[in-house]
Amino acid sequence: MREILRLEHIQKYYGNVGNITKAIRDISFSVEEGEFTGIMGASGSGKTTLLNCISTIDTVSAGQIYLDGQDVTEISEKDIARFRRENLGFIFQDFNLLDTLTVSENIALALTINKVPAGEIDARVSEIARKLDILSVLDKYPYQISGGQKQRCACARAVVNHPKLILADEPTGALDSHSSRMLLGTISGLNEQMNATILMVTHDAFSASYARRILFLRDGEIFTEIRRGNESRRVFFDKILDVLTMMGGSTDAVS
Amino acid sequence: MLYLKLVLRNTKRSARDYLIYFVTMTLCVTLFYGFLSVTSRYYKPDLGVEYDLDLMSDGMKMAVCLVSLLLLFLIWYVNGYMIKSRQKEFALQTIMGMERRTTAGMFFAETFLMGIFSVLCGILLGMLGSQFITAMLLRSYGRPYRFSWTLFPDTVALTLVFFAAAYLIMGIWNMRAIQKIPVIEMLNAGRKNEEDFRKSGWMPGLTVLYGGLLCWMTTEGISKAYYYWDPRYALPVHLMFLSNILIPAAALLYGAVWLLTRRRHRNAGRIRVLMAGWLCFSLAAACAAASTAPVSMEYYLPTGAGTLNLHMLFLLIDIIYFICSLIYLANDGLCLLKEHFPRIRYREENLFFFGQMISKLRTTTKTVTLICITLTLSACLLLSVPFLAGWADGYLEQRAVYDIQISTDYTDTYEESELPDDDYGFVTDHLMEQGITVKDDYTFYMYLPEREEFHQRVKYEFPAVAISLSDYNHLLTMRGYEPVALDEDEFGLQWQSIATEESRKEFLSENRQTDTDVGTLTLSEDSIYDFELGETLYNNYTDVVYIFPDSVCEKLLAVDRNRYIVTEETVPLEKAVELERIFGEVYPETDTGVHYTIRTSTQQINSTTAMIFILRAVMTYGAVVLLVICFTILALQQLCDLPKWQYRFGVLRKMGVEKSHLDRIILLQLIVWFGLPVLVSAVVSAAVMGYFFQMYSAQINAYIGAGELSAQVSAVTAVLAGLLLCYFASTWRMCSGISGGKPQKIL
Repeated sequence: MREILRLEHIQKYYGNVGNITKAIRDISFSVEEGEFTGIMGASGSGKTTLLNCISTIDTVSAGQIYLDGQDVTEISEKDIARFRRENLGFIFQDFNLLDTLTVSENIALALTINKVPAGEIDARVSEIARKLDILSVLDKYPYQISGGQKQRCACARAVVNHPKLILADEPTGALDSHSSRMLLGTISGLNEQMNATILMVTHDAFSASYARRILFLRDGEIFTEIRRGNESRRVFFDKILDVLTMMGGSTDAVS
Repeated sequence: MLYLKLVLRNTKRSARDYLIYFVTMTLCVTLFYGFLSVTSRYYKPDLGVEYDLDLMSDGMKMAVCLVSLLLLFLIWYVNGYMIKSRQKEFALQTIMGMERRTTAGMFFAETFLMGIFSVLCGILLGMLGSQFITAMLLRSYGRPYRFSWTLFPDTVALTLVFFAAAYLIMGIWNMRAIQKIPVIEMLNAGRKNEEDFRKSGWMPGLTVLYGGLLCWMTTEGISKAYYYWDPRYALPVHLMFLSNILIPAAALLYGAVWLLTRRRHRNAGRIRVLMAGWLCFSLAAACAAASTAPVSMEYYLPTGAGTLNLHMLFLLIDIIYFICSLIYLANDGLCLLKEHFPRIRYREENLFFFGQMISKLRTTTKTVTLICITLTLSACLLLSVPFLAGWADGYLEQRAVYDIQISTDYTDTYEESELPDDDYGFVTDHLMEQGITVKDDYTFYMYLPEREEFHQRVKYEFPAVAISLSDYNHLLTMRGYEPVALDEDEFGLQWQSIATEESRKEFLSENRQTDTDVGTLTLSEDSIYDFELGETLYNNYTDVVYIFPDSVCEKLLAVDRNRYIVTEETVPLEKAVELERIFGEVYPETDTGVHYTIRTSTQQINSTTAMIFILRAVMTYGAVVLLVICFTILALQQLCDLPKWQYRFGVLRKMGVEKSHLDRIILLQLIVWFGLPVLVSAVVSAAVMGYFFQMYSAQINAYIGAGELSAQVSAVTAVLAGLLLCYFASTWRMCSGISGGKPQKIL
C-alpha cells in the first residue's frame, strides 16, 4: 500500500518563554492510502491540535508532515489555500454547512472552488448524493433537514473532490445514536467503496470502533496503537475500552 | 462602584465597537445644533436694519424640531442593533446572578453615557455647522460672511434637552425590551445561524392594494375623458386621455387573466408573475400620469388643480409600486440568473455569493424597499433645493426691481369710466414725512392697443398691453439702462424673461404687424428687449409689452396706472410695512373694480428671503437626516451579520478559498447591498427631477439659468456620493477584517 501521510517528530508548543504549553510533545506515525484511522484521547491530549496541524490550519513548532510526499510545513502562506482545497476534505462536528445554500449547492461549492468545469458539476453532485442517500434533500436548505442528513451532506462535500485525505473531527458529536450509526456506516462505506483515506478524531469508543486502526494520545504523545485486523467490530470495541481503561489509570497517580 | 466601573469599561469598549453608532449620533447632533443655532435669541448676524429674522427664526425652530423627530427612529434602530449584538453578554451577566433590571440599567447607563458624549462632540462640530448655515443665510440676504466661533447657550440647552429626552425614552424602552427577552434566547443569539429565508407576505398584500388603486385610476381616467374630451384637441391630448384609461385598464386585464389561469399553470400562477407584469404597467402608468400636467399646460386644457394633483398622486403611487416590486423581484432576478446560467453559477465562489445576496435580500426586502423609497425622497428633496430656492431667488430679483412699485389691475373692471387715473401722491408725501429721500419717481399709463380688447376676459387670451416710448425709456434710465429709439410707424417689444423661446417665436410669427386704434404698426426688428423691469408691467397671462410711439399711445385707451419709486436708501422694514398698511387703507381690497397693489422691495426681500432660507435649510436638513438614517441602516444591516459572516467565511477558508477571493466577495456583497437601493433611487429620482426640470424649464432659464442649476445639481450629487462613499468605506473597513488571518481552529 502507498503511504499517503507521514508525521515525523511533530511538536507543537503554545505560549512564550516561561509559560509554555506543550500540546504535542513528539508524535510520529504514518497512514497508508485507503486506511481508516481513528485518533482517540482525553480532553487536552492533543488530538485536535494534531488534526489542525495536519490540515494546515495550524503550524507545527517542530517536525515534518508529509502528505503524498509533499512537506506541508514548508508550503507558503500563499499556496496553502490551494493545497487545502486540492488535497484535503473536512467533516466537522457542527457540520459547517452554509445556511444560505441548498444541500446540492453546498456540495457543488466544493467543486466550483476547485474549478471543476461547470458542465460536470451537476452530474458529480447527483452521483455523490446517490451514494450517500441524500438525493431527496438536494434542493432543501440545511435548516430544513435532519442532523444526520446534514452530516451526510458534509461528508458528500468532503469527498466529492476525491481528496487524498479526509479529516473528520468528532463527526458524530452533534448526532443522536441512530444518526451516528448511520453516519459511521456512511464513512466506513466511503473508505471501503471509494478507497478514501480517513483520519477521524473522536473520544467516543463506539465511533472509533468503525476505524481499522486507532492511535491513542495522552499528554501530547502516542500512548499506544491498536489495529482491528480481521476481528469483528464488537471485539475491536472491547479492545478500545480496555485501552481507555488502561489510559485512564495512571501508575504515577497510585504510586 | 463595581457597576460604575463596568459601565465605564463597557462604554469605552462600545465606542470602539460601535463606531457607526457614535459617528451617526454625532452627525445628528451636529446637524441639529447647526440648523437650530440660527433660531437662537443670541444669534445676531449682520443683516442690516431693514431686515428682521423673527419670521425665519420661528419657522426654522418648528421645522427643525419636526424633522428631528425622525432622529428618534434612528436612535431606536441603532439601540436595537446594540441590544442584538450584546445579548450574549446580558445573558452571561444574568446567569452570574445579576438582576435583569441591573443588566438593563447598566446598558441604559452605557448608551446614555455614550449618547451624551456624542452630544458634546456634536455640539462642538455643530458650532462649525452653524457657521456653514450662517454663511448660507448671509448669502441669501446678499451680505458678506466672516467666520466667527460662537456657542449659543439656549441652543446648547435645547440640544441637550432634546437628545437627553430622546435617550431617556429609548433607554426606558430598551430596558423593558431587555427584561422581556428569555435568557436562553439571549445566550444562543450568537449561535443561531440557520434562518428561515422565506419572504414575508407584505408585497402580495401591497399588490392587491395596487390592484384596487388601478381600478381607481381607470375610473378616474374615464371620468376625466368624459368631462374634458374634445375632438378638436391635438393628438398629444388624445394620447394623454387614452393612456390614462388604457394603461391601468390593461394592467387590470392582465391581473384578471393571471387570476383566471393561475390554477391551470402552476409556475405562471405565482404572484411574482403578476408583480413582474404590473412592474412594467406601473412604469407605463407613471408615464401616462406624468404626461397630464405638461400636456395640460402646453394645450391650455381646462383641467383644474384637483385633476393635476390627483394625477401627481397616481404618479407617486406608480413610482412607489415600481420601486417595491423592483426590489422584491430583484431577488427573483438573481435566482433566475443563478438557475439558468450554470456557467455563472458555477464560476469559482459565485454560488456562495449568490447565496449570501439572495438570503439577505429575501429576509430584508421590506427594509431595502423602505430605504430605497426614503433615499429617493431624500435625493429628490436635495435636488429640489437649488431648483426651488433658485427659482424663488431669481423671481425675487426680477420682481423687486424698484424700491416701491404701485400698480393696478383692470381685469375686474367693466366700465371704462372706472379705469384708474390717480398719481398716488400721498405715497411720496409719506416717504418725505418719514425722512426717506426719493431718488427717482415715475408715474405712467399702460394702454390697450385696441379699445375693443378691453372686454376680452377669457383666460389665456388676454391682450398684451402697451407702454409709450418715453415712459419705457424713463423706466430704463431708472434701472440704469440706456434709452431706446423707435420710428413713428413702428413698435417694439419688451419680453418678460419667463417667456419661452417657443412662445416668443410663435408670437413674433403672428405679430410682425399689429393693429391699433390709430392704424397698423410694424415691428422694428431692432427693438425687441428683455430688460428686467418688474412683473407689474405686464398684463395678466401675458409675458410681453408693446412699446408704441408716444403719439400713438396718446390716442389709446389707458387701462393701468403704475408708479415706480427709487429711494436714496433702502426703506426700513417697519416703515415699509407701515406704508403698505396706509396704502391698503386708501385703496382697500374690492371684489370688482380696479385692484391697486403696492410692493416694497424691503418687505418682499425680507419675507421671500426668509422663506427661501427656511425652505433651503429645512429641505437640506430633512434630506441629510433621511440620508444618514438610510446609510446607517444599510451599514448596520451588514454589521449585524458579521457573526454570521465570520462563520460562513470561516467555512470557505477551511475549504481552501484564498484571502484575495474572500476580500473580493465581501467587496462585491457590499457593492450590491449599497448599490441596489442607491442605483434604483438614483435612477428614479433622476427621472422624477428630470421630469420636473423639463416641465419648469422656462422658469429655470428665466430665474436660475440651466448652467447654474446643472452646476448646483452636480454639487449636490457630489455631496450625496461623498456621504455614500464615507458610509460604504467605513462599513467595508469593518467587514473586511473577517477575511484576514488563518481559518478558525477546529475547536
